[in-house]
Amino acid sequence: MTLRGGSKLGIDRQVLTIYAHELRSAFRERNIVIYSIVLPVVMYPLLLWAIFAGIQFVQGQTDRLESRVVLVGLPEVHRALADSLEEKDGVELVPWEDSQDAAVSAIAAGRLDVLVEFAAPDSNGVALPNNFTVRLYYNEARDRSSGARARVEEVLTDYRDAWLDRERKDLGVSDTAWDDFGIVLKNVASPDEVVRFLLALIIPTLMIITVALAAFYPAVDATAGERERSTWETMMTVAASRATVATAKYLYVATFGTVGGLLNLVALGLSLRWILAPLGGSTEELASAGIPLSAFPVIALGTALLALFVAAIMLVLAAFARTFKEGQSMITPFYILLILPSMFMQDPDMEFSMLLASIPVLNIILLIREAIMGVYHMPQIAVTFLSQILFVAASIGFAQWVLRNEGVYMGTHEGGLGSFLKGWFSSRASSS
Amino acid sequence: MSAASVRIEGLTKVFYDDSRGEVRAVDDVHVECASGEILGLLGANGAGKTTTLRMLSTVLTPTGGCAWVMGHELREAPQDVRLSIGFYSASTALYPKITPRETLRFFARVNRYPPDRVEERVELLIDRFGLSEYADSRVEKLSSGMKQKVSIARTLAHDPPVLIFDEPTVALDVLNALELREIIGQLRDDGKAIIFSTHVMSEAEQLCDRIAIIHNGRILACDTLDGLRGVTGKHYLEEIFVHFARDSEA
Repeated sequence: MTLRGGSKLGIDRQVLTIYAHELRSAFRERNIVIYSIVLPVVMYPLLLWAIFAGIQFVQGQTDRLESRVVLVGLPEVHRALADSLEEKDGVELVPWEDSQDAAVSAIAAGRLDVLVEFAAPDSNGVALPNNFTVRLYYNEARDRSSGARARVEEVLTDYRDAWLDRERKDLGVSDTAWDDFGIVLKNVASPDEVVRFLLALIIPTLMIITVALAAFYPAVDATAGERERSTWETMMTVAASRATVATAKYLYVATFGTVGGLLNLVALGLSLRWILAPLGGSTEELASAGIPLSAFPVIALGTALLALFVAAIMLVLAAFARTFKEGQSMITPFYILLILPSMFMQDPDMEFSMLLASIPVLNIILLIREAIMGVYHMPQIAVTFLSQILFVAASIGFAQWVLRNEGVYMGTHEGGLGSFLKGWFSSRASSS
Repeated sequence: MSAASVRIEGLTKVFYDDSRGEVRAVDDVHVECASGEILGLLGANGAGKTTTLRMLSTVLTPTGGCAWVMGHELREAPQDVRLSIGFYSASTALYPKITPRETLRFFARVNRYPPDRVEERVELLIDRFGLSEYADSRVEKLSSGMKQKVSIARTLAHDPPVLIFDEPTVALDVLNALELREIIGQLRDDGKAIIFSTHVMSEAEQLCDRIAIIHNGRILACDTLDGLRGVTGKHYLEEIFVHFARDSEA
């Protein structure tokens, strides 16, 4: 073969030339830059800021509201409880002349927030003179009512503890004996761990969405977009093999998927530090919770492998499209399919088994989830990487095979991947 | 093997269509083109011109027959064939987001023009086609006339010995079409072997050294205009074309 300037290296140079050309064009395409670069970067800061600002806003609104509380059947001996409630900030005792049922209806309608009904104690409690049972009626569907319940419950608990303390002293129960009946709750998880657990549920899903979104436009642009612009045939006449063109296009799509995913990861790290911390208050714990540094390389590698896999499949699907719109509609089902497993994986007890480690996409979700939690099952990680590499290699081979087909690269094949495979199998069957 | 730059022997392309069954778009085509020659492929729409040229440029794979470009057989060495040709048609558009300079650089590099001479080649083409003023503007911003020049320059980026023009003037106005024909004439003078397909009789008359009349996928005649006149006894190319077309259907 007498290729000018050609050598074994020449083939690699062609891939790089086409790859660089694709990137240059893509960076000048507004949609690709927005969906593959800008969105992954701003997604976490915007999302986290919106969520926590929203929560704080709603909490603030609820905190400012007066809790309208009605007491029914309060024993005279416990008059002090009513005083405590009246002294509590944000609680307003509403005089109620109507029936108890009417009060419950008023709570359901949002005109009242809590009904406190005092009743006789159950059979275990009658031994204690002046003992009572309290029933709280509230509306869980209304934030104001839930907030009111919390305020009333706090006052009731304090009053109960103080009253029980007095009673036991009157009965001669010593402090030591009394403490023996105490219940102490001890959460073995640190606040960091709790936050990491929550992040581990959210981040894999967002990572998949980001990678798929970042690869989506480049995949359509590299195939259907070229056809729509009539540049596809131009590319088919260059002195590079179909495999070279397919490889360069694949690398282009995979680059955007990977870069989108990694930018998303960086944005996440920065968001936790700089977006949540200034919000303070109830988010302080979240802001201080760091994903362990050792998790980042694992997540980054997992993201890259995920992008390589997603890019190959998206490229194959979009190769059958003749227009950008067709490309979008051909890829969308795969996009949804990608996100679906991450929904099922939200079960925190789902174990990262060897079987799951061999299933693409699922394995990456579990890998990222465990890495965030600071857990590393080395055999599963090894199987995940191995399985993902095998699937990526198979997907690239498949993409190259599909793109070598005349009907596909000329855009004359009617239908998508399904009809293509059906046609191929039937032609194989008839020829044999 | 012939000394001709392009040699086509029995080239055939059969498509399978669900409604029409087997369609012979190109049927047993034989033709040659030498360096410094413009061979016109003259035929009505759907005659098989584009399919023939797409096979010659290795975009389509022939069903039968053989063809050699600069000694390279289509199916045996498709990359060498593509290296030897520049293909221009209405369906080979430019990348809108890059500049003419970047376009020429890309096509020179991807077609393996010696790397150390790429810049020199790009500047030469920019000068030759008067692109200096717009060389660094994005292609999408250029007028259709300028785009056409960039497109031809793109075809020549790697200095191929064989040029294929598939109905290049079909979407051009009179002045741009004239300019393009002049450029093609100059390229012949540079020693390029040029295959030029058209359905415009006057264009074939003015430009082509030899004309191959293609109808229903078959070459009915291939000769100089004078040769065709001698065989048919007709003067105008339109009459000659109709003569052969009716003869083949009789």
